[in-house]
Amino acid sequence: MKTIVLGVGNQILGDDGVGVHVANELKKHINYSNVTIDEAITGGMNLLDLILGYDKAIIIDAVKTENEENGDVKRIPLSDFSTMHSCNLHDVSLIEAIDMAKKMGENRIPKDIVIIGIMMKQMPCEFGEKLSKKIATAVPKAVKMAIDEIRKDINISS
Amino acid sequence: MKTITIDPITRLEGHGKISIFLNDKGDVENAYLQIPELRGFERFSQGRRAEDMPQITSRICGVCPVAHHFAATKALDAAFNVNPPSAAKKLRELMYMGYFIYDHTLHFYYLGGPDFVVGPDAPPEKRNVLGVIEKVGVEIGKEVIKHRAYGQKITAILGGKATHPVCGLPGGVSKGLNKDEVKEIDKMVKSCIEFAKFSLKLFDDIVLKNKNYVNLILSDPYQLATYNMGLVDKNNKVNFYDGKIRVTDQKGNEHVKFDVKDYYKNIVEHVEEWTYIKFPYLKAVGWKGFKDGKDSGIYRVGPLGRLNAAEGMATSLADKEYKRFYETLGGKAVNSTLAFHWARLIELLYATERAQELIKDPEITSQKIRNPVGEPGEGMGVTEAARGTLIHHYKLDKNGLIDKANLIVATTNNAGAINMSIRDAAKGVIKKGNVNNATLNMVEMAFRAYDPCFACATHTLPGGMPLQVNIYDHNKKLYKTLKQNI
Repeated sequence: MKTIVLGVGNQILGDDGVGVHVANELKKHINYSNVTIDEAITGGMNLLDLILGYDKAIIIDAVKTENEENGDVKRIPLSDFSTMHSCNLHDVSLIEAIDMAKKMGENRIPKDIVIIGIMMKQMPCEFGEKLSKKIATAVPKAVKMAIDEIRKDINISS
Repeated sequence: MKTITIDPITRLEGHGKISIFLNDKGDVENAYLQIPELRGFERFSQGRRAEDMPQITSRICGVCPVAHHFAATKALDAAFNVNPPSAAKKLRELMYMGYFIYDHTLHFYYLGGPDFVVGPDAPPEKRNVLGVIEKVGVEIGKEVIKHRAYGQKITAILGGKATHPVCGLPGGVSKGLNKDEVKEIDKMVKSCIEFAKFSLKLFDDIVLKNKNYVNLILSDPYQLATYNMGLVDKNNKVNFYDGKIRVTDQKGNEHVKFDVKDYYKNIVEHVEEWTYIKFPYLKAVGWKGFKDGKDSGIYRVGPLGRLNAAEGMATSLADKEYKRFYETLGGKAVNSTLAFHWARLIELLYATERAQELIKDPEITSQKIRNPVGEPGEGMGVTEAARGTLIHHYKLDKNGLIDKANLIVATTNNAGAINMSIRDAAKGVIKKGNVNNATLNMVEMAFRAYDPCFACATHTLPGGMPLQVNIYDHNKKLYKTLKQNI
């Protein structure tokens, strides 16, 4: 089983880059030949391109929320989203991209797509490379969740 | 007074909010678009190495990385007082054509096109790319995906990376092309030309042959007679990568033509208290509020702005389409906001033809792709982003570090016009407080035509293509909420 883990976000836009911070941290803990860890500042169509051909995709991203607290970390099945667009503005959502690809007979779409969302009430609008305190505390939580997610499904022989 | 809020806008990513104010009779009094403006760029860039700016600014926005990359690179050419070799300019421009191919394709088929192809009053769940595919067929859907990917591939071959190019350096580019790469690009470009021709034919068949659509394009609520702005070459033909900034008036006559280094002599920014977005206007004409016409300095950029600001396209097929565009829509200037879509397809054709000229140019494999830089100073750079004129301005200190940075981005250039277009469309379709999803979509169409990008990533839970309309009474108390797919 081939898995890709993608940290999504914009590293020069403060908390928006949290997904990338998590992916970089995750690299220190995970080293399996069948697990790829990467980062992306993109969404929709381009994001789909990146996950094609894998059995499972784990996408780590900032998620805007009304009900949760800043820095909560949640595992969200893709089906719960329909307006997600992970950073790339004016693109279509990942869901839309997947629906379209399915219709075109694309057979390399991962069977399992999981989002690990770092909740925030407000998306940052100010340039900066650092995470806020609240969101920084979410990083180890998200890393642990990602490790559990990877180990859950994969029979690892390392 | 009642307030209608459309929030968030579907199918345009980034968080935008439209508020429509009704008078006592339920007719539209005014409308505002509020979008979050990214802040603190100047402070963020201060003290950084100037040569990092093309990489940093390409991350500002996931939509226009290539446009920012080269606006920054060109500003650095100027700041380091260096003129890149001609092969380097051609490589940059070729890469730029790849960017236009994927970006314009994406907008027409996925974002703006569904309104026309599927129909403006089709149910919202059909007004998307899947609805388009349903209508035009799966085979065409495959062509769309293929050619968008070709545009990306061309960009990636030249830029080193598909989304965030690493090739632009002050004085040139870091990488040339070998013969195999030329062959590969040539093949893709050939196919892209056919695809662009096909897209124009599709537009012809579905939109222009439908009288209702043509009437809609020419209808009052979608007219806006502002000034127009775009880059032109020495023959006043549209150019995406280089040239002078030309501004024409409501009749298509030249108002002013200037070099980017004089932008601040020609453009000023107006501030409103209800938004962070600044509204640029022509200094010589002045700010007269959100009005169009000769006395108001508001101008438009992007595909329609560019076509209006020029005197033709520099390639033969696109130029033919350019002429047909003005013949069909009643001569210069075309002031219909919905004509942006057609203009975009004409530009797609130009991008493919221009790409072919460049890839067939023997100089494209030249290894002379960089000139040595001079002493650091001050520089401005301009490119045409897919959605309009983009200006970068840097002041460097003596060590080549950024002292000051200022950007004027495309959507900001269009901000005044977008606001007016929303207001006018709302006035045209909302009467006596009657609002439904079809009327709301007509308002959104006015705005979607610009393909604006709001530089803020919002990822909203719970989902459901949410379009929420809040109607408030004159005490600003919520008295009705309309929801779409929530």
